[in-house]
Amino acid sequence: MKLSANLLRFALAVLACAVTTMAVAADTTGITDTTIKVGVMGPFTGSASSYSKAQIGLDAYYKWVNDQGGVNGRKIETVLEDYACDSAKGIAAVKKLIHQDKVFMLHGNSCSAVAMAIKPVVVEAGIPWVVAHAANGAISTPATKNIFHGVPVGKTMGTAMARFITTKPGIAKVAVIQHTDDWAKSYCGPATEFLASKNIKPVVEVAFERGQTDATAQTLRIKQANPDFVVACLYETETAIFLKDAKKFGLNAPVMGTAGTDLENTLKRVGDLDTVSNYYVPHMYTDNLDGPRLKRFADILKKYYPNESVTAFSLISMGGAAAVVEALKRSGRDLSREKFLADLDKIKDFDTGLLAGKITWTAADRDGVKEAAVAGFVNGQPTVLKAWGQRL
Amino acid sequence: MFFLQLALSGLAQGAIYALVALSMCVVYRATTVVNFGHGDLVMAGAFVTYLLVVLAGLPFPMSAVLAVALLFVLGLAIEVGLIERIKAGPHIGFALMCIAVGYLLRGIARAVWGREVLPMPRVFDFPPVILGDLVVTADALVIFFVVGVLLMLFFGLFYRTSAGRIMQAVCQSERGAALVGINVRALHGVMWGVGAALGAVGGVLVAPLTLLHPGLGASFLIKGFAAMTLGGFGSFGGAVAAGLLLGVAEQWIGGYVSTKLIDIAAYLVIILVLALRPQGLFGRVVAERV
Amino acid sequence: MFYAAPLLALAIPLFANPYTQFVVNLMLVYVLVAVGFNLVLGNLGQLAFANTALFGIGAYTAAMLMVHAGWPFWAAILPAGIAGATAGFLASVTALRGIRNYYLAIVTLAFGELLRWTYIHGEIATGGTDGLAVPRADFFGIVLDSETARFYVFLLIVTVIVKAVSNLLQSKVGRAIVAIRDNELATASLAIPTGRYIVLAFTLSGFVVGIAGSLFAVLIGQVVPESFGLIELILHFAMVLVGGLGSLFGSVLGAVALTALPEFFRRFPGLYEMFFGGLLIVFLLIQPRGLSALCAKPWPALRDRYYRDH
Repeated sequence: MKLSANLLRFALAVLACAVTTMAVAADTTGITDTTIKVGVMGPFTGSASSYSKAQIGLDAYYKWVNDQGGVNGRKIETVLEDYACDSAKGIAAVKKLIHQDKVFMLHGNSCSAVAMAIKPVVVEAGIPWVVAHAANGAISTPATKNIFHGVPVGKTMGTAMARFITTKPGIAKVAVIQHTDDWAKSYCGPATEFLASKNIKPVVEVAFERGQTDATAQTLRIKQANPDFVVACLYETETAIFLKDAKKFGLNAPVMGTAGTDLENTLKRVGDLDTVSNYYVPHMYTDNLDGPRLKRFADILKKYYPNESVTAFSLISMGGAAAVVEALKRSGRDLSREKFLADLDKIKDFDTGLLAGKITWTAADRDGVKEAAVAGFVNGQPTVLKAWGQRL
Repeated sequence: MFFLQLALSGLAQGAIYALVALSMCVVYRATTVVNFGHGDLVMAGAFVTYLLVVLAGLPFPMSAVLAVALLFVLGLAIEVGLIERIKAGPHIGFALMCIAVGYLLRGIARAVWGREVLPMPRVFDFPPVILGDLVVTADALVIFFVVGVLLMLFFGLFYRTSAGRIMQAVCQSERGAALVGINVRALHGVMWGVGAALGAVGGVLVAPLTLLHPGLGASFLIKGFAAMTLGGFGSFGGAVAAGLLLGVAEQWIGGYVSTKLIDIAAYLVIILVLALRPQGLFGRVVAERV
Repeated sequence: MFYAAPLLALAIPLFANPYTQFVVNLMLVYVLVAVGFNLVLGNLGQLAFANTALFGIGAYTAAMLMVHAGWPFWAAILPAGIAGATAGFLASVTALRGIRNYYLAIVTLAFGELLRWTYIHGEIATGGTDGLAVPRADFFGIVLDSETARFYVFLLIVTVIVKAVSNLLQSKVGRAIVAIRDNELATASLAIPTGRYIVLAFTLSGFVVGIAGSLFAVLIGQVVPESFGLIELILHFAMVLVGGLGSLFGSVLGAVALTALPEFFRRFPGLYEMFFGGLLIVFLLIQPRGLSALCAKPWPALRDRYYRDH
């Protein structure tokens, strides 16, 4: 009797030890007593380097958080890695961050194609990843265990763009001009889908490639079709060229751009108000870039990167960063990847003070920001709009 | 009026291509090297002008002229310092040297300007001229004027002056020119300088239309190369004519067939011409000397 | 002697983490790319810009077979090579009519860009701008789902092909190709059909680079049109030239060096382009015959036997 009781006690003890070890073996890679390592991947070089302003913004935000005392006694140590918008470099960068630098989490990526390429690597490693900028919804939907979208995805923005267009009275004909790359498709695809659901099909669709310096053929074709609105999924340079050509040839229809440009900088680039007075863009923020509500974020950027100019890209990732910091705070001192993932999924209606939409993440839905507004020039001033002719 | 408007824009674009093609041709005729970094010289011309206008506060015309002069010196330096030095190596080494120099220039531009996309300050701000249905912008007029004058100067100098005859001699036969006492090496440098300067003018003209970013030169390299081939390698007049033709062809194909084809219009034209007439439009069939 | 390197390489996974192993795998892919490109650039001596096209068509062929037809990886390798060979043939067929040098170069460039255009616009087959997501590679029943697994398979394939190219260069075909580079007219006067050999060289180059493309597709897990543009082409050029034109050993060195270099430059973000350009310039001034010549000086045994001086 005594032997079997002892045996039972022994077995229970072993079991208890095993269970405790399993609980203790929570994943604390990338955490020390004083630091939390965050891997930030961005296209700092290459033809898409202007996208990396998003990563610069988020780095500035984390530096500011550190200066405020950090999170639960730990400072955030960012590790920046460049991938030049190339998939091979992207995979190398993320593997380095995960297996060599051993970061706690990833917060980055602007280029959607690269994000899709590294997705299997991230999913397999189980490391938390908040997408900082890339717009392809397929990165975070269907939901995986560890990937979160911290910015509005293409579908949200395309829908906002198209919905605004439909609020224009008498809207019947729409023209589309876009780059034939996945970036443009992530905006124009959902936009044309939404318009189609309202029975508005494009009367003309033209391609204007990156690097081309003249849009005469495209502008004339669009003008000939006489649309009520033009959807222009073009990058910064090409937007300026198209708007100038539109003015030159008397194409007066309003133009809807993407989140790749912002009103203030487009005005600077084309140089006169008349050319952009009809230009609208989806707007992810609660205020204009130089408005009062965004000022403290712009100031954070200025403080840590004084030579950096503020464009639509610069502040976009800070919203996600604010949510990350909130989740880290809630996880407390006893931080682990599992706890952090659970706390991220508890983020609900989180007001970042920056983004127009509040962030909500659940285990089934990682598309965190589901709202976007539109901005346009009203009396020469960039203004956030709810619908055609209506301020927010 | 589609037709004419497209042709007009095509000619304005084509004028830039013609300039770039001519500048590459000058370099090629002088040293038998096709400068694969030439697009970045075009970009450098635009950037240096920007620097002078925005940072040094000089007025645009002066900055432009100064930038072109600086690029002349750069072209000369590249030839004398780098190209001459690897003359003994394989011919393909030149290609890589040119690419490397282009890369370096682009890297410097990116290191300094990084993530920004900069607007070139507008200089010629008079309203467009309207001729019936045709719209001619100030930019287009300036391009036509400048390129026209440059071409006249260039061909005039090359074919009518004694300095030009010296250059012709070097282009036709280096040994012969050397035997007659011409300093062939110096002339190589000068012609590279001329090529770089002409390319820089192209950059200065195109920058107000597009925006400034380090990758500006990429498309001009390809178009220039295409125009050179189309016109017949080594033919100055051919390069100019082909450049103009290419610009117009792009607009017509885009306007009448599909805008999706504009990017590859240059290549389609090339393949067509080379299939029908392998030596290009104005090239001479060269018999190989054994 | 030849097999020493691959045998030694078998030990690499013992020292590598998934990041370094990935970089090594990428090196293997680029070894094939450089070896194939060198056939045309170095051994044949023709300037050609089609390499990314050949690389891309190999990658797309493998990806399309795996995604649309459900073929396992091992079955897709050969078709990728054949696709590359066909592309190489088509790109160079104008050579039969006497097109050479810069004209041939631009024809190959045009061909490459046209191919890339079809990747972008051939939505149904190629996935358009989103590209194709390549499923996990199935190698005769074994799923290659780790970098180490992929390493062994890549090492095998690369060794076999490089040996084959080495044999080719020592054969009659190889000698004819090199002879054409050295003096085409003299070669023609020996009753060797130079046009046909030029096309043959391009075709073989396409075969090798096409297979490299299939490996690339599996390594990256994705094929998108952006991966096969002009920036990639410059990388291919640099690898061949830095390694040593016409030198098989040089191609290997160049591929390894230029895949490792950007990884070292991670410490200096934003400066890589500048350093790359500067490095190439310095290299070209000091040793235009490439790394292989640099290595051959202290160790004459490493001197490439097939390399001829210009």
